[in-house]
Amino acid sequence: MTALTGQQKSPWILAGLLLGHVMLMAYFARHPDSEQSLLSTWIMTGFTPIARSVDWGVSKITGGIGGYADMRGAQERNVELQARLEELTQERDRAVERAADYEQLRAQLALPTRPQYAELAANVISRDTSLWFRRLIIDRGSSDGIKRNMPVATATGIVGRVISVGPVHAVVQVITDKHAGVGAMLQTSRAKGEVRGLDDGRCELQNISSSEPIEVGETVITSGLDRIYPKGLVVGKVERLEVDPNASWHKIIIKPSAPVDRVEQVFVLLVDHKDLTVEETVSK
Amino acid sequence: MRILKIALTIVFALLLQLLLSNYLKFFRYIDLPLLVTVYFSLQRSPRLAILVGLLSGNGGDAVSGGILGVSGFTKILIGYLIAVVSIKFPLENPLARLAVVAVASAVNTVLFVGLYQMLEQDQVLNQTLPYVSNWAGFGKTVGWKALADTATSMFLFVALDRVFSEQAETRRMAIRRRFYE
Repeated sequence: MTALTGQQKSPWILAGLLLGHVMLMAYFARHPDSEQSLLSTWIMTGFTPIARSVDWGVSKITGGIGGYADMRGAQERNVELQARLEELTQERDRAVERAADYEQLRAQLALPTRPQYAELAANVISRDTSLWFRRLIIDRGSSDGIKRNMPVATATGIVGRVISVGPVHAVVQVITDKHAGVGAMLQTSRAKGEVRGLDDGRCELQNISSSEPIEVGETVITSGLDRIYPKGLVVGKVERLEVDPNASWHKIIIKPSAPVDRVEQVFVLLVDHKDLTVEETVSK
Repeated sequence: MRILKIALTIVFALLLQLLLSNYLKFFRYIDLPLLVTVYFSLQRSPRLAILVGLLSGNGGDAVSGGILGVSGFTKILIGYLIAVVSIKFPLENPLARLAVVAVASAVNTVLFVGLYQMLEQDQVLNQTLPYVSNWAGFGKTVGWKALADTATSMFLFVALDRVFSEQAETRRMAIRRRFYE
């Protein structure tokens, strides 16, 4: 029997590899919540420092150019901002006073105090590497204390949650991903529902009864019922309301408050979802 | 030395895929690991095509965060088929290369989505794959991706021809002998 030549062996190599890949795919498809694959960890551990350096360089260059452009009209803008600062200072003083009253009332009613969570700043080093997934990659990982399901936010609102963690990076599923869900409620009426991602950078607040009065522009906050996002974080504002008199539920389109599609810096709330007690998540 | 250059090319393609999508939104339509696989598959060596498809495909899955093995499967298969066809037919001229990229991109998208559907069934089309909610939308996505990949290959293949100029010349001579003499 003659030995197979390299050319003749190729179909057998191909068949073996394809079979191996079918088994690999089947394993990872059956265990979608398993830890990050070893290959992904190796590659991303190597790539993250490079991506971080590139991001730093690009932000320096764009920041420099942007800073120069911003110099034009800076004086007029400065006067406007001074006036706005005074308004906001007064507003803040009133808010501080109200918060003190609120805390005093909570203490008198013996309501549990709401915990403050530590935050960790992170840079977005990559996003949506392919057409099929709406994900961000940040330059913080398990070595910084990040764990799966930790909420990710900006100063203006939530961005998403950590779905996979490597030693020096983490993958964040954004709230506009169709796969994502957030327990949420309307800030004024306190009606609770669920936020789901839409294709166009918007979200939909589902399961709100059509009898609930809702106004465009109303703020939507997290309800805490999903045991991932602590209660009271801003999700977005009601942008559009589609009323169908025959439907039992409102169709509410929300514009996320955080710039999910172009966010560059985020902070991770160091919340372990196991630590979110029922009292903390459902108490008003 | 040649294998090292090929390995570095794959690593560079994966790194660019990771970085550029952060700054250029349209880059999501471009699949650099696929283009690298097609380029080396056109060198008429099925074993090289399989190796490049294996590395760039699984590397692509690792970078994008998808199910490991899906892109590996599609790129190994596409690479092998292109290599086998390129042995039988001359695919060396630029127009033929562009046609190969367009077909490879379309086949890659169909296989990728098909495999996800097979693995996670009907819920995938509406959830994991947000751009594919109906057949018309799917056809449009396939078309745009093929167009983006083909346009990018025009520049990428010229750059790779320069990097691998020696091999490119040897290959051209071999094809000339095989098909035209």
